Formats: sequence, C-alpha cells, structure tokens
Amino acid sequence: MPGELYERISQDIRFTEGLTACMNCGICTAICPAAEFYDYDPRSIVTTVQSGDEKTLKDLLESETIWYCGQCMSCKTRCPRGNCPGQVIQVLRKVSQETGAFTKSRKGRQQLLIKDTVGKNILKYGYCIYPATAYPEKHPEQGTVWKWVFENSHEVYASVGGNYQGKGPGTLRKIPREALDELHRIFEYTGGINLFNKIEEHSRKKALELGFRKENADPDMEVYTRFVENEQ
Amino acid sequence: MMNKPRHIAVIGGGIAGMETASRLAQAGYKITLIEKERITGGHLTQWSHLFPDSSDPAIVVSRLSSALSHQNIKVITSTEITDISKNGQYFNLKSGSEMSLNADAIVVTSGFHLFDASRKEEYGYGLFDNVLTSADLELMMKNEKPIRTASGKKPRRIAIIHCVGSRDAKAGNTYCSKVCCITGIKQAIELNKRLPECEIFCFYMDLRLYGSSFDGLYLTAQQKHKVQFIRGRLSEAAEKPDKSLQIKAEDTLSGRPLRMDVDMIILLVGMEPGISHNNFSRNGSVQLDENGFLKCKDVHAARNLTTQTGIFMAGTCICPMSVSETLENARSAALEVINYFERKM
Amino acid sequence: MKKTAKIKWADFNKEIADDNYYYLRSCIRQNFFPGSEKAFLDILRHNLHKTIFDDASHTTCAGIGYHADIVTFETLQTIAARHFSLMNERGIPSAVVSCITSFGIYSEILATWEEFPEEKEKIRAYLKKATGREFEVPENVVHSCDIIYKFRNEIAAQMKSPLINQKTGKPLKIVDHIGCHYSKMFPERGVGGAEFPKVLTGMITAWGGETVDYPERRHCCGFGFRQYLVKSNRSYPMSNSKKKFESMAPYKPDAILANCPGCTMFFDRWQYTLGQIEGKTYGEDGNGIPVLTYEELAGLVLGYDPWKLGMQLHQVDVEPFLDKMGVQYNPDDKYKGLNGKYINQPDFSGCLKV
Repeated sequence: MPGELYERISQDIRFTEGLTACMNCGICTAICPAAEFYDYDPRSIVTTVQSGDEKTLKDLLESETIWYCGQCMSCKTRCPRGNCPGQVIQVLRKVSQETGAFTKSRKGRQQLLIKDTVGKNILKYGYCIYPATAYPEKHPEQGTVWKWVFENSHEVYASVGGNYQGKGPGTLRKIPREALDELHRIFEYTGGINLFNKIEEHSRKKALELGFRKENADPDMEVYTRFVENEQ
Repeated sequence: MMNKPRHIAVIGGGIAGMETASRLAQAGYKITLIEKERITGGHLTQWSHLFPDSSDPAIVVSRLSSALSHQNIKVITSTEITDISKNGQYFNLKSGSEMSLNADAIVVTSGFHLFDASRKEEYGYGLFDNVLTSADLELMMKNEKPIRTASGKKPRRIAIIHCVGSRDAKAGNTYCSKVCCITGIKQAIELNKRLPECEIFCFYMDLRLYGSSFDGLYLTAQQKHKVQFIRGRLSEAAEKPDKSLQIKAEDTLSGRPLRMDVDMIILLVGMEPGISHNNFSRNGSVQLDENGFLKCKDVHAARNLTTQTGIFMAGTCICPMSVSETLENARSAALEVINYFERKM
Repeated sequence: MKKTAKIKWADFNKEIADDNYYYLRSCIRQNFFPGSEKAFLDILRHNLHKTIFDDASHTTCAGIGYHADIVTFETLQTIAARHFSLMNERGIPSAVVSCITSFGIYSEILATWEEFPEEKEKIRAYLKKATGREFEVPENVVHSCDIIYKFRNEIAAQMKSPLINQKTGKPLKIVDHIGCHYSKMFPERGVGGAEFPKVLTGMITAWGGETVDYPERRHCCGFGFRQYLVKSNRSYPMSNSKKKFESMAPYKPDAILANCPGCTMFFDRWQYTLGQIEGKTYGEDGNGIPVLTYEELAGLVLGYDPWKLGMQLHQVDVEPFLDKMGVQYNPDDKYKGLNGKYINQPDFSGCLKV
C-alpha cells in the first residue's frame, strides 16, 4: 500500500520528471556503468518504487543498492519512455538522508564523508574541489604530478596564468566575501544547511549506536569518520 | 441502377489499393488507381516470404495484378497525389500541375513507410557495415543472395532486434507495429534454414504474437530452429575493429546486463504513417490520429471511413496490419463505398 | 510521456551565441587544468576577437555536491539563479559554462522551469529572500566546447601546426570522449544530439586530424561522484575507465580528446594508477595515451606554448603527442615557475617510473 514514504518520494518534482511508468525493457540496466560493476539493476529499482509498497520502500531506503548509481544519467538517453532512473535514485537518496535511513547501510553512511569534504569546500571556499584540500595522501591516484602541484601550488598556478587565492577574477581566485555570504544565505534559506545538519545528526546517532563515544558521552565523530572511511 | 457509373479514385497501388479497386470494379464502378511508384504492388514487391506459411508474396501480387486488368479500372503510375479538395459534389485530385481529376469518392490506400533505422543512432544503421534492417534481409533473400557479412564471411551469430522505432517515445512512435514480432520469428527460421551453424538470438520486450498460428511458429523457431529468445531491449550496438558488433542489453529475466558480440544485426523496423498523408491532411480534408495515421470516423463501427464524408481508407494507412488483414480491410472498404452510394440513390 | 520530434540527430545543430559571453568557471578545471580556462579566454579574445566577461563574483554551481546528494535541488537552483542575476546585472545575455556537470545542471534547471513554472517562482522567492536579488533566464547557455566548435574554421584559418604527424604526413588519430552530462540528459542541448555529438570530432577534422570510433566510446568515464569522492569506492571509476582504455587501445590513438573536466582528469590519472598497479600502459613505448582538453588542442594548433597551456600538469606525458605534431617546446622549461624560477619538479611523470 502506498504510504508516507511514497508520498514523500512522489512530492519531489524530479520524481515526476524522472518516472512516467516503466515497461521493464531493461534498456537502462544494459548500459548502466554501475550495473556492470555492482550487483545493481536500475530497472528493478524503478519497478520497486513504482509498486509504492511502504515496507519495500523502507527496505530500499536502508539498502546499499541506492548508493551504487554514479549519476552519469546514461539511462535517460535510452529509455523509450523518457524516464530517468538516475533521477529516481536522487530522490530516494534525498529521502534516505532526511529520514536517517542512510545510516543503516555502509555506502549510505559515506554521505558524512562527502558532506565533510565537498560540503565544507563549498561553504569555506566557494568551490566544490579546492587545491588546499585535495591531499595527495587521500588521493594516491592523483599521482606524482599532482603531489608537485599541491606542494608548490602558488608558484605552479601562477606559472599558468592562475590567480590562486588572489583578488579579482581568474582561475582559483579567492571568492569575494560578499559572494560567499550570499552563497551561505542561499544554503540557509533553501534547506542546504538543514540537509547538512540532518546528515550530521543521524550520523551522530549512528556513532553512539555503534559505541563510538567520548568520555563526556558525546559521539566520537573522529573515530566514527575513520570507521566509515575504512568500512569494507 | 446508376445512370452514369460513379467514378472512384483509389490513391495508392499497394495491395490494399489493388484489392479495393478490383472489388469496386467488379461491382460496376469506374476506378482510377493512382500509384506514385513505377509499378503497383507496393512493399510486397520487395519481400521474400510471408508469415505464417512462408509463401511467396509474388503469388499475392500477381493475383491482384491480374484482377486489375478490368475494363472499369484505369491505372496511373509514377504519379503522386499532392492535393485533394472538395469541389461541389466532386472531389478534385491534383498531382502538382501535371494532373487533375474529379471523382465521386476517394479511397485512400497510401500505406506506410518503414521506420528509418538511422534515426535510432545507437544501433548504428548506416554507420556500421553489418547492421541491416528486416527489409534489407528480405530483399537479400528475395534476390537469393547468400547471407554474408559485409566482408563476405558466413555469420556465426546474428541478433534480431525487436521494436526498432516502435513503442519508443524517443523515436517519436509510442505504438506497437504489431507485425514485427512474427516477422522476426519468420526471419529467424529462414536464417536458420540458410545458415544452420549460425546462432540466432531474438532480443524482445514482449512477444506480441496475436495470430492464431503465430505461437506455433514461435515454438517451431525454438524447437526446430534453435532460435534463442532474450527478454531485453537492445540499448546500443558498437562496431569492433574486426567489424563485428558489440551489443548491450539486459537479460531482464535474470536481471543482469548482457554484452554479446555478434557478426550481424537485423533491426525489425516498424511501420510509420506514409509520408503522403500530409498531402491529404494539409487542407483539413482528412484528419490524422495521435500517431499520424489516418483517423477513422469510429474505431468500432466505421473503421474505413475518414473524418471526411466521401473519403474512405483501407490498409496500413489506418494502422499497422499484416497482408491478410490488409486484404480483408480493403474488401471491407469496398463494401463501405458501395453502401455509401446505395444510400445516396 | 513526451514524444521526441522525429529528427535525425546527426543533422542537428543547436543555437550558439556569436559574441558577448559571461564565463562560468569549473571547479575541477581550475584545480587540474588551470591553463585551459586561461587559454579559452585568450583564444576568444586574441584569436577570435570576442568579448567575454570573467566575473570574480560567481561561485561553484555546487554540482558535484548535488550529484553526490549532499546539496538539495532547491539550493542548486538558487545558486544558478544567482549566477543568472549576476549576468543580468552586467547585461550579458549568453552564458558559457566551462564544466560539463555545471552545463548539465543549467540544462536540467532550465528544462525543469519550462515544465514546472511554479518551481521557478519558488526559486525566485528563495533568491530574493537570501540575497535580495532578482533574475531573468539567459537567452543562450552553452558549454565552452560549443564555442570552440562554432569557431573551429576560424581557428583552422590561423593554424600554425595542423593535426598531422610530421614524420609520416598522416593525420593524427584522436579518439573523443564526450562527458555524460553534455547531452545524454538533453540531446537537444548538444551539437549532434546525444549518441554521436559532433562537437569534438568537428574540431579534430577541421584541424586536419582523424577521428576514431571505438566500441566503448559512449561509456561513462566512471567518475560517479560519490564513487570517486569516497576513497574506498574508487575501484568503480577506475574499472570503468579501464574498460574504455582496453576498448580504444587497439586503434592506437595518438591522443584522447575530452570535453568534460572530470573525464579528462580521470583518464589522465587512471592510466597512471593502472600503470602503477598492473604495470600496464595503453600508449606507445610504456607511455599512456595523452589526454587533452579542447582548449589545449586548439592552443597547440594555434601555436601556444604547451607549458603556458599548463600541459605539464598532466600525469601522462604529452611530449610524444607534441613531437608528432611538430610543436616547438623547451623540455627544460616544463616545470619552471614564473619568469623561469625553479620550483622543484615531480618525482617522475608518466605512468611508470623508469
């Protein structure tokens, strides 16, 4: 029976955009990079959501499955009904984070890590990715050249016409204070900060549940973060 | 009876037009049959076998052709009607500035055109050498050419792809073309007869085998001809360095993505409304349905009546149909025309 | 369900404004290909004599956060609306977006607003409340590769080094990779649609090169946002990129040309990582296949210095490609800072430490 969760999911306009009604042809799964890599089937996710069954939806929101998609949106190109399973996934992930269901799965718990890196970069610097926080030890795949750039960033960027942390326009300029303030207020007024808080709050609960506790009984988020980073 | 025989223009010399014309001629009407191509017979002249009995389409065409040699029938070929207008009690038909004729009634039998497979770019028709359409394969078999890859090798594995340009909002067609599923099975059997060593796979979404003998043919294809059926729609085909093709679909019954290399792909292209329909609908003389086929006055009670009194229709200009259905439909159109004039008397 | 018009995408061209642009920069490119954005502005201003405004006040579009699901759709739309407002302030009607994911996001937002006008009004209210700003939708939003494509023949007319192998006299073979968010979501926003966009192949052929089709051409590079951002998920992006390398290697391409910041960076880095893990390389003589941005390619064709283009920031060495093209460069200048200052150099470059 469709219940509260289905209501929540179907209120998101991306759900209206992303799913007309699926005829189960499998054209999305056929070219889905995640389906080739994980035990993942976007078609069956869509069928599950389409069923509207509350219990099944709850299980789905708590599952690893919804975190496999890479949001390349290749599914949208091919669907003969113009659906976009990737968009359905976006909505499921949003509801999973709002309700705390994401902390039930290993991959879901990783949202904390993303909030603490990309989320922080956005608010602090106005960039999603920032040279000063792309640490070579966290990014061994970035290679030896990146390590050189990282260690000599000001000189390297200057040598190719950059304006790293400088005033005025240009590559990697410092985002002006007023612009950053506007960005902050946008996050505040549009539910952006609220989502960060939700992720933090549910992660703290999970940390306590797993016994990651400081002496003052607060959750030990440093230990929890390392746990989530290394969970297999 | 009539003082002066009524004159009926039949537009389109495929099998629907031929059957309608000959039936009406036998009933005493004067007929002008206008065909845009050089010869009558339509798509069937390019076809090799008919389902479900594997018979030769030339037999159907030649029977219809001899029936056209009737004193009441005048056949005009290489002429395309570009405009229809109502002029008092007559209809006026024009072919550019070349030809103009008046008729008491019109039967539109303008048929279909095949979906242009190059519009489904992800399947690589026109880009990759070994991607063919069902129509290309029919012609190859009709001309008794051996089935070979572009480089002249015997294919070891062939994929037959259902629903190409049908049931596909992306291709602009959401309807089912109805005859492709059974055509695919027929072609799979014919391929197996010619290439007994070759593996044949049909990629389908639903097998829509509506004819009473079609499921029997499906069984035969599986049992006798070892055709394998995979429930999953083809997502893309890509050409490999050796010109074989890598295809991607999902085997939806096992829920896993499937990647396969094949030597040849046959695309089962569906039917789209004939281009010439626009000529008839332009000035509002007839209306089109949501799929661009000619709209009928009543889907149950008046299937052969267009939205314009005096203009009738038959065959695949109404919707996708098989050969036998087209011929039945043509006879029913002839009956509607006769009723129309008898009521008028 | 919306039916697509019955068009042949191969013949499809979208509208690309002729002049007077507002530049929206890319987070990934500023970090990893800073020279490309600089080159884009230089080519536009000095070679094509166009006007483009580079505004300090725009920020990230937050797209990476959005596709990693930590940024809400409402926040994303409001940030975009703020950028539109900045454009309105300057009276510039056309946006040029440097990032493919940003471009995809603007496309998604504009499509959403068209289908759900009430959503646009909601965002209008958000922006007003948060910043006091108003906005109107720009007349034209394109990706920066669209601009280079549009003026590919003008660039060809000023060409110093065509894409010809100077030793053999044959065209250089270049495979393209189009970022998924360029037109897979909205085919009508890509030059040539979604399946075989012409935006990069058009440049390659205009400048004398040859393009090569390969089976996994349309497969995603594997970025996958959260699949890369979280270290323990990174086998997903790597295996996807590997699939592509395996698929293109038999054609022996001289270079990979990509239009997406992420794809360009990942193809460069995963070749190194695979070299380190498996000892396998996909180019000639133990090298990787050089991966280029379209500005780098345009810059080389126009005679720009490869080190000014920032090609020393690539992990996969670009010299084999430069040599084939016959580009003049000083190997000693590769890692030098401003005014020839010595600033250390990487432990090694390329895929394998020799």
